[in-house]
Amino acid sequence: MRLLPRLFLRRAFIFSLLLALAADSSKGQAVAQFPPDWTNALGSLADKIAAVTKRGEGLSLEAKNISSLSAVDVDGLGQLLVTDLSRRNRRAVTESSADAALQVTFSESAEGYVWIAQILGGDKENVVMVSVAAPNQKANTKEAPLTLHRKLIWKQDTKILDFGILGEGTAGGSSMLILLDTDKLSFFSYENKGWKLARAVDLQHGRAAQRGMRGRLDLQAGKAELPGVECAGDFQHPETVTCANTATLADPETPLQLVTIQGHSVEDYAVLAGTCGGDSLTLAGGTGDWTAADFIQAYDGRNLSAASQPIQVPGPVLELRRNDDGKSARVISRDLKTGVYEASIVSVSCDD
Amino acid sequence: MKLRLCLCLVTISVVLAGAAPLRPARRPHYGGTLRIEIGATVRSLDPTVEAANPEEADAKSEMDALLYDQRSEDGTFAGIAGSGPFRVSSWEAGKRATFAANQDYREGRPFVDSIEIQLGRPAHDRVVDLELSKADFAPIPAEQARQAADRGVRISISQPNELLALVFVGSRLGKESTRIGEAIARCIDRAAIVNFILQKEGEPAGGLLPQWSSGTAFLFPTEMDAHTAKEIWSQISPSPKLVLGYDLADTLEQSVAERIVVNAREAGISLVSRAMPATGKASSAQAAGPTRGNAIHVDARLVRLRMPSPLPRLALTAFINRLEPIAGIADSPVPESGSPEDVYYCERSIMNSGLVVPVVWMPQVYGLSARVRDWKQPAAGESWPLADVWLDSADPH
Repeated sequence: MRLLPRLFLRRAFIFSLLLALAADSSKGQAVAQFPPDWTNALGSLADKIAAVTKRGEGLSLEAKNISSLSAVDVDGLGQLLVTDLSRRNRRAVTESSADAALQVTFSESAEGYVWIAQILGGDKENVVMVSVAAPNQKANTKEAPLTLHRKLIWKQDTKILDFGILGEGTAGGSSMLILLDTDKLSFFSYENKGWKLARAVDLQHGRAAQRGMRGRLDLQAGKAELPGVECAGDFQHPETVTCANTATLADPETPLQLVTIQGHSVEDYAVLAGTCGGDSLTLAGGTGDWTAADFIQAYDGRNLSAASQPIQVPGPVLELRRNDDGKSARVISRDLKTGVYEASIVSVSCDD
Repeated sequence: MKLRLCLCLVTISVVLAGAAPLRPARRPHYGGTLRIEIGATVRSLDPTVEAANPEEADAKSEMDALLYDQRSEDGTFAGIAGSGPFRVSSWEAGKRATFAANQDYREGRPFVDSIEIQLGRPAHDRVVDLELSKADFAPIPAEQARQAADRGVRISISQPNELLALVFVGSRLGKESTRIGEAIARCIDRAAIVNFILQKEGEPAGGLLPQWSSGTAFLFPTEMDAHTAKEIWSQISPSPKLVLGYDLADTLEQSVAERIVVNAREAGISLVSRAMPATGKASSAQAAGPTRGNAIHVDARLVRLRMPSPLPRLALTAFINRLEPIAGIADSPVPESGSPEDVYYCERSIMNSGLVVPVVWMPQVYGLSARVRDWKQPAAGESWPLADVWLDSADPH
């Protein structure tokens, strides 16, 4: 069994942009919106191509994608490059009337995207390229009668044990994000569309580090527990929270009974109250260990048959717990590409 | 109320499924002994004692990573032995080592209680022991990965990060080195080497960095072109008779060398292969001497280059430093920056010299027993992350 798939199982395709060039009049049309660093990089690539070609020179353009960029993105980038080149007085022409052949390859390295242009004129070849940071993989959802949504709340380099939000949606009340990690209990208040640290309580107190540590927040009771430490207070008022060492070194999490979903025993799941007019829903992750990308899927409460399309998570789901509202779950996962821990809320919407 | 109802339903489904889990546990737990077998023999764990060959150096580095928490800038381990995730509990030089979990390790004690490493185990024995669940973890030669998997061994394969290249020794070839190198590069049937010798576990190599690292490897052709090779060779006068050396103890190198000789002959190139003593690989300085050891004369030799980092600039710089004393490519500057363009042009200049002919990229392959959990392939240059591995007690073995 292979644990890691080969990196280069990527679809590659070649397309011609000549038709797009012919329709240059359409440049007023909205081309796909790209991040500014992409458009800047493409402009730099056009500059570099212009530097090794002559003004007014006809170029026959072929583009190839061997990266993880989508076909739609590559198509849009190709059109944008044509526009950039025309602004630099380089004409796009058919192969038969071209002064030089321009092959653009959208490639990818260990550090990000690499966009490469090979310009072949006569027996001379010039190679120019630009690099672009690759964005993190986006969660992908497909339409289904019942849809799961993952909302990223917080991410950090160190391991998150649990988190919760208090006061969300309450009239006039301010929201408070409480985050429990291995070293501290942090309180963030929501100000100016962002979470601002209000207080952090150090939990180290000479505790020995523990691999695979788990912890739990009980927002209603105002309690945070992890092996060897317990904190209590009014979480809406962080200044009231105090922490003390305890003799309990055991995992504070009470294990749920295993459930069997589609032939697999599952120990991490969250049972949500009746949603979309049906019975309860069980949210569960995939079956891989913590070295694999994961997904979360909803299963019907009665027979545990799939009730939604899975939503992809770019790394293992480390914790999956029901929120106090009973309608959503809080998820802690780790992005395998970046190594960053993510705290997200997964909620359900009904599409009927 | 609804929640209670649903928990009842969950309970019912648990009862129906029976008590025994159908799949292994997902959450890590502590305990057990991880049994490892490796091919190399390690004579000393002292980081100041130099390894006799690259295989011993690699194995020693993995063992040092268990013992030491810190690495120096040059990649070697430093500090206090036992500051790492494990401590030595027994040591028989060249034969066996046992490591116990360090309870006070900075990042928390490892999941397994101990690690037993058997040294000097031949590849065949390692695969058999994995098959019989007598071992939990063992490196497997890439060319044996498919066969091991067919025999039911659980396999973990990295991205291709080890280059096998033909390197011309010193400046023996003089002015013609570029054309000779090009002729050899074009005559090699890399696809056949990957498909038949490596059993499809690898990739043809045209440059000094793999595509996943640099993103530019596709700019270096890998296709065989015997016709052009023949043409280039015919222009070299007088045409030299070349000797290609390979490591006597390395069966893969031998197979590849013999295949290259066949390809070369098909293109009219005069090339023979010759085994070199294993110690010839001990260091770059030794390897540089074409008449070292038992006075074996070689014009070129096969060299394995393992990437010390996934980052293209760091990997290429390390390769240049390693190749410099063998091929005399001192004129090739290391990349000025990490920009893909700088790295590419540096790589291109070395390729244009004809002194280095990349042949294939190979992955690192490991066999794992069924009870090993959370094994993650280390990135190029990283050590085995054995502190994170745990053993599933649910597994009957």
